Amino acid sequence: MSYYLQLLLNGVIAGSVYALFAVGLTLVYGVFRFINFAHAELISWGAYLTLMFSSPPVSWPLCLAVIPAVLLTAFIGFSQDWFIYRPLRRGSPITLLIASIGLSYMLRNVLRLIWGSDLMTFSLPLARGFEFSGYYVTGIQLLMLAAALLFLMILYLLLTKSLMGKSLRATADNLELAAIMGVSMPKVSAVVWTLASVFAAAGGILLALDTNLEPMMGVANLIKAFAAVLLGGAGNVWGALLGGLFIGIAENLGVAFFSPGYKDFVSFAVIFLLLLFRPRGIFGLLTGVR
Amino acid sequence: MDYLLHVMILALIYSVFAMSLNLELGYAGLYNFGHVAFFGIGAYVSALLSHAGVPVSAAMICALAAAGITGALLAVPALRVSGDYFGIATLVFAEMFRLVCLNERWLTKGPMGLPGIPRPAWIAPGVEGMPAYLLFAFLAAVGTFVFIRRLTGSPFGRALKVIREDEHMAQAFGKNILLFKVKAIVAGSVLAGWAGTLWAHYISYISPADFTLTETILVLLCVVLGGRGTNWGPVVGAIAVVFFGEAVRFLPIPPALTRYVAPLQGIIYGGILVVIMMKMPNGMIPEHRRKNT
Amino acid sequence: MKKSLGIIICVFLLCAGPLSAAEVKVGSNTPLSGKLSVYGEGFQQAMLLALEEVNAEGGIKGSPMQIVFEDNNSTAAGAVSAIQKLITVDKLPLLFGPAASSNFLAVCPIAQQNKTILIAAESAAAEISKCGSFVFRVFPSDALQGIGVAELTQTLKYDQVVLTYINNDWGVGLAEIFKKKFTAAGGKILDEFAHDEGKTDYRSEVLRIRKSNAKAVVNLTYIKEGATVLKQAYETGLKVQWLMGSASKSPKLVELAGEAAEGVIGTYPTFSQETPQYKAFKAAWEKKYPDKKIPVFGEYNYDMVKLTAKALRMAKSMAPEDLRKAMIEAGKGYMGVTGDKTFDENGDVGAVYGCWTVKQQAIQDYK
Repeated sequence: MSYYLQLLLNGVIAGSVYALFAVGLTLVYGVFRFINFAHAELISWGAYLTLMFSSPPVSWPLCLAVIPAVLLTAFIGFSQDWFIYRPLRRGSPITLLIASIGLSYMLRNVLRLIWGSDLMTFSLPLARGFEFSGYYVTGIQLLMLAAALLFLMILYLLLTKSLMGKSLRATADNLELAAIMGVSMPKVSAVVWTLASVFAAAGGILLALDTNLEPMMGVANLIKAFAAVLLGGAGNVWGALLGGLFIGIAENLGVAFFSPGYKDFVSFAVIFLLLLFRPRGIFGLLTGVR
Repeated sequence: MDYLLHVMILALIYSVFAMSLNLELGYAGLYNFGHVAFFGIGAYVSALLSHAGVPVSAAMICALAAAGITGALLAVPALRVSGDYFGIATLVFAEMFRLVCLNERWLTKGPMGLPGIPRPAWIAPGVEGMPAYLLFAFLAAVGTFVFIRRLTGSPFGRALKVIREDEHMAQAFGKNILLFKVKAIVAGSVLAGWAGTLWAHYISYISPADFTLTETILVLLCVVLGGRGTNWGPVVGAIAVVFFGEAVRFLPIPPALTRYVAPLQGIIYGGILVVIMMKMPNGMIPEHRRKNT
Repeated sequence: MKKSLGIIICVFLLCAGPLSAAEVKVGSNTPLSGKLSVYGEGFQQAMLLALEEVNAEGGIKGSPMQIVFEDNNSTAAGAVSAIQKLITVDKLPLLFGPAASSNFLAVCPIAQQNKTILIAAESAAAEISKCGSFVFRVFPSDALQGIGVAELTQTLKYDQVVLTYINNDWGVGLAEIFKKKFTAAGGKILDEFAHDEGKTDYRSEVLRIRKSNAKAVVNLTYIKEGATVLKQAYETGLKVQWLMGSASKSPKLVELAGEAAEGVIGTYPTFSQETPQYKAFKAAWEKKYPDKKIPVFGEYNYDMVKLTAKALRMAKSMAPEDLRKAMIEAGKGYMGVTGDKTFDENGDVGAVYGCWTVKQQAIQDYK
């Protein structure tokens, strides 16, 4: 039994990070109605930029290196929109999707060009996890869980309590109507892209701290995040959290029953079945923030 | 100049692959990002059957049938969603296919791949057979081209375009949209399987690593670069992409810098996709449209 | 469009122009870009070092030897393209094959059919033995290593183990041989599963190991996957004896896994570092590349080129059959840096397996 509980615990932690990625994806989808494939690259760029600032020649301590890294990632996210998606917004969502696939491939290869395809690490000192009556969890994992909850809480407050949040939700509801009603579109898109990038970068950095960095880390997690978005219902923030947790738990518990070679298969199958049978999401029924 | 033959064979096989995607993406407006799965099904079925002793031509036909049936099985549920959701559903399907090939070792030998896939009996193995294989690939490509041109020039093809532009109008004309789309996907899958068999029997070795997202991006690039919804577009796109990829071999790049070649190539491919979407979404050979939109 | 195609073809023909005819040329199908490029660079440097020595000793019957390097993007399709070019454009009778067994397996039928000698310096899959009479390798087959790991497990008196392996050609091939040998000798495998290549989270896999309460785990994997598994096992307080293969024997493993790598025991094909051949190689390497460590499999690549040069000198002509005979002849009793290179009937060499372990954050020989 404790074996399954530990798997469950691992699933919850993995899921909280998927939720961080999913929130950004779902925000962009909610407002602009397209799937930003290049969201994956915001994840890995956040992590790699932190590595850059924390290793020679800059060599800042990690907590300091995070700041410019997140800012730069937000800048990348913002430029994605400004130079590519904004001019394309009048076209079909498919044009945007293909462009974002191209952009993702391009950014990923820039990453390879600079840092190579090899695995990188922050070389933190190794620590044994904390043990709670037979269950193990590491400090960084706790940090991941806490950060995910904190970020989502902030987002929730932002969306419900602030004026900006209200205009965001209005835009998500009906972009044209919101614009007519005097919602400043450049402002909304700036906020959306900043939020999406910061969340992606934060998740990427946490993931890299917990494990390692490699160029594919973004794409591998993007697909999971997408599954979370679908589960939660596109555009639904709390849905993304629940969806992320569901995916994390499902794939980790899956290891107990299938060959670990099929670990990814579980989340892919979830996406596939959901898309075909519940495209509005399971948790879409819950009243979430959109 | 057997190497040139090799490059030409590759370009022809990619043309078939790109044409098959174009049928769905260009004509029917179905954004299939998992097309590589059908390429893979064609390759694996054909290779496994010919390893089991089935004559190559019979194995190829079975492979086409398998790709078509899988296409139909995927299409019927997947068409419940449209646009970008359909794209993601197919993309995920392709990854699931790859994972099955990787893990079901009793069947596919997993990551070891399948070496020594024979060529059709009338084509000699090795270099001697290359001109014959070129002829074979050429005939295959011409056949595919003619088939698609006739298909898209027929009322069926025109109906597909109407559906692509405006589903409601097509419905108003009493067209069964779902049936049309399923037919387009089945035809596209059979042709992708055809490209896959041509590839497997030529390269003579396949493994799950050959059917990844990168391959999807490459063939997508062929189609949008050449021009969606045109007969020549994907052919031109495929030839351009294959020749560009091979021409890099002949650039005088010092050995110390060669490790930068692959990422640079990736940057260029990705960049081209973005630029095409922004500057010339119709590709090198734009589709003729009536100016009423 | 036609114009640009024309230009491309012209570029082709210009660059493929003739090199000096007096040279004896061989080809090399090397991963200079793509995921194996990290290793490819080292292979190339080792080959170039050997080449320099061959030419300093007077080359091949008076003419200098030359290696034409062709990149294979670390993929099977790229390796096929590269070998087609080497065989048909450069018309080379003898080639050094690509790294990674799957890529090698993709090209070896082509070499065999074209009667082109193909030599491997780092591809280990047991399947390669069946490639044909024109295929040789100076690197021992996994068939030997699988047996080596099984024997190590038994000498350490672990008769119940968990077996996990990386889900690629190398891991799967090795695991199968290990399993056969280990169970035949009465060992019991408590749980067996593959783990994906290139993942960052193996915690659930680690838990599965934990569940079986095994005292020892045979983990046949690469460097980064190995390091991640070790690290995450350490975090959860899992205390087992890790038994690993040759592919994770690298200082990088220790660098990535830190203390978690302490006490790991593994096997690797070994050769004495006390022989005059090794000492000469080491001195030459340090002279040519003063600030570079000897790369993974560098010694094998060096031996491959030197042995090839010997064969080329012995060959009656450059005809395929003569070259093949010369290779076998040259290998007989040849003592290279990596030991005896006598080829058996499959073109394989024998090997001595040693054991490595990690002690005080350094890789050492295990005795």
